[in-house]
Order: sequence, then C-alpha cells, then structure tokens
Amino acid sequence: MSRSYSPDEPLDADDERILAEIGRLALLVDPVPVDLADRSLFAMTLAALETEVMTLELVPEPTGVRAETAPTQARTITFTSTSRTVMITVAPGIDGVRIDGWIAPTGEVDIELHRPHGEVLTTRTDDDGRFAFDAVAPGPASLVARPEDGPAVSTPVIEL
Amino acid sequence: MADKPHTTRDPDGLSLGDRAAHAVLEYRQGRPAALEAVVREMTPLLWHTVRAQGVEPQAADDVVQDTWVALVRHVDTIAEPHAVLKWLLVTAKRGAWEAVRRRRRDERHRTELHDGPDPETGAHRELPTPDPAPDVVVVEDDRDRTLWTVFQDLPDRCRELLRLVSLADRPDYKHISEAIGMPVGSIGATRGRCLAKLRTLLEQSGADDIWRHA
Repeated sequence: MSRSYSPDEPLDADDERILAEIGRLALLVDPVPVDLADRSLFAMTLAALETEVMTLELVPEPTGVRAETAPTQARTITFTSTSRTVMITVAPGIDGVRIDGWIAPTGEVDIELHRPHGEVLTTRTDDDGRFAFDAVAPGPASLVARPEDGPAVSTPVIEL
Repeated sequence: MADKPHTTRDPDGLSLGDRAAHAVLEYRQGRPAALEAVVREMTPLLWHTVRAQGVEPQAADDVVQDTWVALVRHVDTIAEPHAVLKWLLVTAKRGAWEAVRRRRRDERHRTELHDGPDPETGAHRELPTPDPAPDVVVVEDDRDRTLWTVFQDLPDRCRELLRLVSLADRPDYKHISEAIGMPVGSIGATRGRCLAKLRTLLEQSGADDIWRHA
C-alpha cells in the first residue's frame, strides 16, 4: 500500500537525500555557465568604482561580460559619455594584445585598465590625449579614465 | 560543483543566508572577501531562479550579473542584511521577468516586420515559446532518471521551489519559499507541500524504496 507523506512533518534524512539529488540533477541538466561567478565578480568590482559608464558607439558584439574568442585582427571601438570620448584600437601583438587609445577633450588623464581578479594596469596620456597598453593578456577588460577636471568615466566590458 | 554535498557545506552550521548577511556587513566595512565567496556559492541558485522564469541562457547570464551588480549599488541601503538572500532572489526574479517581457516584445516586433498580422483575421501569429526545460537525456543513471521523471510531474512552482531549496541550505528554505511566494510553515523545518507531494509520487511509482537508507 502506498502511503502519503505529510507536509507538516519535519524533514527526515530521506528528504535531505532527495533534495541533494535534485540539486545535483538540476546542475546536470542546466549547468551554470563557466565563469559566470568570475564575470559577476568583475562586473561588481567595476560597479563599485562608481564611474560614469560610457556608451559603446560601434557594437561589434553584444555587451555584457561574455567569454568570446580573441579577435585575429585590429578593431577600433569608440566610447562616449556626456563629458568624454574615448577611441581605442585593439590589435593582436606578439606577446598579447596591444591597445592604442585616444581621449578627448585632450590633456593629461590617468587611464586604468581593469581586468578580472582585481588586476589593474595604469598609464597616463600624453598632451594630445594618447595612451597605449602593450602586451596585454586577452580576456575581459574595462578602461577607466580619471580626468582631473571631471568625473571618472569607464567603458563597458570589452573582450580583448 | 555538482558532487558537492549541499547539506554539509558549512561546518559552523551557518546557512547560506547567514553567510550572505555577514558578507554584506563585511563588504560595507571595505572587506570584500566574504562576499566573493558568497557570489561563488550563490550564483547557481540565482542562475536557476532566473532560468525557472523561462529566460534563455544568454539573457539569464546577463540577469545574474545584473543582480550582483545591483547588490553592490544598493549595499548601503539594504536595511535588513538578514534578508539579503531573499532580496537577491526577488531582484533576480524581477530581472528575469523583465528579460522575458523584452524578448516577447522583440519577437512580436520581428514577427510583425517579417510576417505581419494574419491577413485574413488580422490576428497576430503565435509566438514561438521559449525552450522547455532541458532534456532528460543527460540523466543516464536509472535511479536519477526515475527521480527526475517523477519530479517533472510536480506543478511548475513546486519544481522551482525544490530546485532552489536543493541549491541552498535547509534554514534558507523559509526565505526561498517566501521569495517564490509560497511560504512554508513558519515553525521549524517542515517538509512542506511540494516535497510531501514528491515523496508521495515516488512512493506511488514504487521507487521510494531506492531513496530510503540508500
């Protein structure tokens, strides 16, 4: 004879076992994307900078932090905000990726390149607003510009 | 990840909800390490919360990231850190609903552009429904298959609740069921309607034995 189980009884060891199995099967049939936690952490770090996020002018791929294959040729991307425009060219190099950038209005500006796991590279533009990062590892990145005379701005995450 | 036992995750007996609350307080003090651990642990729970609303994988990926970003943006205004687990679940659900609305709007727009309304009746053509739950074919073990098959016979909301509860800790049951809008009894950790139903269905299918004293 089959019995029915009462909703009001306390959880027993079999309930616990069944729940554990459901959890295991749920992750098996609909796995969480690889690195979603890492990409979330990167997005959180960038959000905590409280910069003004610029708009991508040319959209070669969907926004959002997403794993993609590295590009094989140079591409130019423009970002704008109310106060600044940043244009970068990303090109494959011998030891990684090279970024050549330019920010307007020109003037000396501190530039940061944020990567996952809290890695930050810094540089400073020349008088004409030009900057570069050489031999950068491929992967997600966001540029932050900190002008002395205005709010800090950041780019959406791009895949180098 | 999948082989991690979910009932013995924390030796100190702190539930995921407790640790999330602690992590938020730590984060406010400028110490992000605890929150990082919670993000790693709770992302599967948020993923399944979003997916249960019928959001496609790529959009679900964005909704989960946006949920964590929202936590950072609102971290100083969360009045009750102990409800942060529930706050995250509710935020993820709202994001999921928004993603579903956006997709429906885009699909309707595309359908109108390409096909237009039916010329005879003027009615809009039916939109394709989102992917159903992932297929059962990846579940190969007989015992697993039995459980998963019976599990699919539960109402949608029960499946959602049990899936999420299974990815958290027992004391979080209450918060999760509240976030889903089907509260369980407030006193003690009772089995609840959904799990009772599953147990009964397993029993009726003759499969309950394999889960006892396994």
